[in-house]
Amino acid sequence: MRLPKFEHVQPSSREEASRLLQEHGSRARLVSGGTDLYPRMKYGLTRPDVLISLKGLPATPPTVDPNGDLHVDALMTLADLARSQTVLEKTPLLSEAALSVASNQIRHMGTLGGNLCQENRCPYYNQTHTFQFVEPCFKRNGDQCYLIPKGKKCWAVFSSDTAPALISLGASATILAPKERRQLPLENLYTGDPLKPLTISDGEVLTEIIIPCPLSLRGTAFMKFTLRGGMEYAALSVAVVLDMENDGVLCRAARITVGSVGAGPIRAGKGENAMAGQRLSKNLFQEVAQLVVSETHPFPHHGYSAAYLRACLEVETRRAFSLAAEQITRNPGDPG
Amino acid sequence: MENKLDYVGQRIPRKDGPVKVTGRAKYTVDVQLPGMLVGRILRSPHPHAKILNIDVSRAERLKGVKAIITSDDTIGVKHAFVDTPRYPADEPPIAKDRVLFVGEAVAAVAATDADVAEEALSLIKVDYEPLPAVFDVEEAMQPGAPEVHTSHPKVKEPLSNIAGKTESGWGDIKTGFAQADYVREDRFESHLRTHGYLEPQATVASYEPGGKLNVLTSSQGPFFKRAKLAQTLGLPFSRVRVHKAYVGGGFGGKIDLFYHEFCAALLSMKTGRPVKIEASREEIFTAYRHGEPLIIEIKTGVKNDGTLVAQQFRVINKSGAYRGTGVVVIFLAWGFIIGAYRVPNFKYEGYAVYTNNPPRTAQRGHGCPQMRFAVESQLDMIAEKLGIDPLEIRLKNARQAGEILPNGDNVYNCGLTECIEKAAEHTEFKKKYGQARSASPSMGSIRHGIGIGVSAYITGSLIYPNSSSTVIKMNDDGTVTLLTGALDIGQGAETILCQIVAEELKLPMEDIEVIAADTETTPVDIGSWISGNAFVTGNAVRVAGTEVREKLLSIAAEELEASLEDLVLKDKCVYVAGSPSHKLTYQQLVSLSIQKRDGDPIIGEGHWRTVRGEPYHPSLATTKGRWSDSYAFGAQVAEVEVDIETGQARLIRAVTAHDCGFPINPTLVEGQMDGQVSMALGHAFMEEVLMKEGRTLNPSWLDYRMPTIHNTAKSEVIDVITERYEIGRPYRTKEVGEGYVSGILAAIANAVYDAVGVRLYTTPFTPEKILQGLGKLK
Amino acid sequence: MKQIIELSVNGESSEFAVEPQETLLEALRDRMGLTGTKEGCGTGECGSCTVLIGGKPILSCLTLAVECHKRDIVTIEGIGDGNDLSPVQQAFVDCGAIQCGFCTSGMVLSSEVLLKENPNPQEKDIYKALEGNLCRCTGYNKIIEAVHKASEQMVTEQE
Repeated sequence: MRLPKFEHVQPSSREEASRLLQEHGSRARLVSGGTDLYPRMKYGLTRPDVLISLKGLPATPPTVDPNGDLHVDALMTLADLARSQTVLEKTPLLSEAALSVASNQIRHMGTLGGNLCQENRCPYYNQTHTFQFVEPCFKRNGDQCYLIPKGKKCWAVFSSDTAPALISLGASATILAPKERRQLPLENLYTGDPLKPLTISDGEVLTEIIIPCPLSLRGTAFMKFTLRGGMEYAALSVAVVLDMENDGVLCRAARITVGSVGAGPIRAGKGENAMAGQRLSKNLFQEVAQLVVSETHPFPHHGYSAAYLRACLEVETRRAFSLAAEQITRNPGDPG
Repeated sequence: MENKLDYVGQRIPRKDGPVKVTGRAKYTVDVQLPGMLVGRILRSPHPHAKILNIDVSRAERLKGVKAIITSDDTIGVKHAFVDTPRYPADEPPIAKDRVLFVGEAVAAVAATDADVAEEALSLIKVDYEPLPAVFDVEEAMQPGAPEVHTSHPKVKEPLSNIAGKTESGWGDIKTGFAQADYVREDRFESHLRTHGYLEPQATVASYEPGGKLNVLTSSQGPFFKRAKLAQTLGLPFSRVRVHKAYVGGGFGGKIDLFYHEFCAALLSMKTGRPVKIEASREEIFTAYRHGEPLIIEIKTGVKNDGTLVAQQFRVINKSGAYRGTGVVVIFLAWGFIIGAYRVPNFKYEGYAVYTNNPPRTAQRGHGCPQMRFAVESQLDMIAEKLGIDPLEIRLKNARQAGEILPNGDNVYNCGLTECIEKAAEHTEFKKKYGQARSASPSMGSIRHGIGIGVSAYITGSLIYPNSSSTVIKMNDDGTVTLLTGALDIGQGAETILCQIVAEELKLPMEDIEVIAADTETTPVDIGSWISGNAFVTGNAVRVAGTEVREKLLSIAAEELEASLEDLVLKDKCVYVAGSPSHKLTYQQLVSLSIQKRDGDPIIGEGHWRTVRGEPYHPSLATTKGRWSDSYAFGAQVAEVEVDIETGQARLIRAVTAHDCGFPINPTLVEGQMDGQVSMALGHAFMEEVLMKEGRTLNPSWLDYRMPTIHNTAKSEVIDVITERYEIGRPYRTKEVGEGYVSGILAAIANAVYDAVGVRLYTTPFTPEKILQGLGKLK
Repeated sequence: MKQIIELSVNGESSEFAVEPQETLLEALRDRMGLTGTKEGCGTGECGSCTVLIGGKPILSCLTLAVECHKRDIVTIEGIGDGNDLSPVQQAFVDCGAIQCGFCTSGMVLSSEVLLKENPNPQEKDIYKALEGNLCRCTGYNKIIEAVHKASEQMVTEQE
């Protein structure tokens, strides 16, 4: 398969990239690893005239600021992220999520920023439309969904593995616009609209992820359910962070994010509230898992029915709680 | 002559290993010819439509476009895998007047580069009038369904869209069921899977001055392709040369004549320049041919002791828009029942039914995995009902050595019983079976299960070109060159054929050069399908080797003044037994032969065919006639883990006890077994081509989930040796490349049942179905 | 608009004028005749087009040639030394880890990187290193065996 023609620009800084993006407007796309964009360009799903490539820009290694928060360059490859000792020590959840993405080669190419800003997917949408289909779907500016015609909406799912992990970690994103640099909670990066999944606009560049690493007892777990274990988008994923009171038994706060079953990552707020202040137990895990399922309404996708995803999500969420509870440790660097 | 084997039976690394591992092996797509054009195919967006008009004028004007072809440029000859009076060819090489499936070729373009070719496609204007289409095979059979083709005139039932029917039987089915103590009926259904060859299909065609068409194409046998190309292009066979490039896997998916092959050839004829057409992976998923899903209804009657007394089958092949191999699989489906167990009263009906889906084709095992899944699943259900264990019911009914099948075939040294016993013993089947279902609920969420399945598979049959012939010529330096039409598609054909030459001539492997798979320079060969390479081509090579050996010995006897029986071949020399210094080298013998045998440079020729003495393939309609000379048997045990909470199952261990006669190369045999186990677990748990209204929904390896390295199951292979290779004697070794994708699928189904008590009647065994079976899906 | 780039492949540099949309895979195969790198899908799902850039395994079908200017690229043709196979290549041949050969280039390159970074890999390390390389023929069993064998061989050689 071949790429369509485009103009290729290699800015020398993120700031220049932002300027160029604004200059070219909707004609331009930002690219780093290209593992999400290039297949879509080969399929003819998007045809940018200008590609602004960040590939030549070096990524700053992860750093810990005086508050103990972890800063990760969005240009870091998933492979480097997964093997970073700093990241592993501070947020093993992120290492695990990064290591679960696609394949070794793709992790060496794809960046954290790219993984967070990937497009939503659906089997109908993600292919060339030369002879296979006649009518365009919502996501190709049409007015129907071919797969679920009665749905009257687009059912493309957002499948990033790192996004649920980072949202559960309470990460924020630094966005570079031509005239400003702003931060937003990572979950606010997502619109929940499969047709335009991201809130950032033309001219904006995701440059950094900041992950708060509180000095508290914490247990985390990431579950990714697939059929074949590698080189596969998740049927569903769930990332859990349990912050514990000092006794190690009472949950002070929980963050639960579900991936791949909706138009964006889904925070399970009811589940989180139900967990907070409670003593961890199998029964609690079961109850909260059910709550998480009831509030997330999984999209059927890629051959999985909604009924199955609900059942599987309940199990995986409960397992994530148990795993997180088993892994409760004090944050490294915390004296006591 | 002593029979110590130095090459046959040895773990010799494959001959093409070094060239493949260094990236030097040239596949069709790697070939560049001077002035070569790029071809692309315009395909139908409709599952069923009339073609009202095709306007190529704008495309023709595009700079760089060198030729455009439509059905008007063809000679109007249809082709098909089967082309007989009962089943005349039904496929136009380019659609004429009507398109019958999404992806059917409507036109093709040759241009200076791919961008121009693709732009040209977008400029061809085709006016269609959509027609009603039908996709579900049982709907298609109903009277009044949209007609894909006229229903077969010889099938008198009031059914639509019948592409063909096979009927067979023996004994008295009514009496059989009347004698039974227990009768049960079940329905099984299999799903659509693709072959998954890594190398996309590609063709380079070059029509040369003087009128010769040279074709390189990714295929499973050049002779079949030559026949189809010659027929559809109106060229004599002798004007079409199809020859070898390395082939990146086939598994049945590269046998038929494809649009890209025909179009590349015709475009080259039109332009006088070489034309290359490569299929994209997406095209292979959306417009090429996948395997043949079957609906299988079985009624079986048994005695209380498990003896089968009657069995009745109704099989429906979910064919696509053309007959393809659809009428072959309904014949084969019958054949894959008869080999394993004795059934005294038997009735079989198989239907191939047209739909507006893309045509289907042979796929490794060609119906066998589907049939064994059904038969072996039902057998386990019967055993459970009767309180017999799964081994006992199989042993009771298993064919024994020397049995004659209802079609007259002989199973000769059938080792099925030993296969079942060894597979069971090796896995401690009896100890493990049934454990999980009596396990306490406190055991966590993982359940282990064990299951068994058996299969019997033919070793070559009579399908054009029916013969394998080879030539071995000695070179002046005492080495040899083997000329064979056989095509190595990865299974190691060239390596095992060289092992036979090496054995017959006691010649090191590196002294054997192979010229293979070229319709012009190599003798005819059956091709790398119907599982006949090791047996049919192998015997042809053996015969040629024998002739060479006898010539060497005859001259040596004369020169060394020794009797033939006293001569020994070793290290490229012939010497007198007990006196190794009294010798002549092969190099000397070649020279002597030329001097003293009127210039004979020592050439051996050998040919072979299966079911010798039988002129034709058995009837596809009635199954009458001999089918194969040799059957492979196997018993396979699967051990699975099932997560009772998510429903996810995984194959953790596969044990294959196989009667392949004898392995010519144990490493290659294991490679075949491992590959089949992997393909079967993909079939069982993850692979499915999802379609809606004739359109493919997951045309990529992301969403079509072929096993990755994470899914590797431990694969153990037990040889049950039932035949021997002896120098100078015909052998009857058995196939190893297709049957063993079958028993293991059945074994997996039975193991899932053993683990969690869920009986699955349809493939794939998705987490969803298993959870549903466990009653855990709301 | 074409750009002049210098590609350093298997230690040899050459210059080309390439369009931005040209992939490294196309440059290697069509311009340099290095057809050992294969296109199995073109969309990053099979690993047949794996090459090494700066010692890292990447997919050449999703890499722009213009972004490889002066990068150090190794393809299958750069593994081994003339007629001598590398330990990984030799192990693939000896273990029967090759059938049709179409995935082999990518498999070998992924395995080379793995063993360089981790000379004594466990099964799970092999899985993670080769998860992006599809093989339909072998079921992976003999490929895993070959990686273990090459690892043993390389460790022995170093001692």
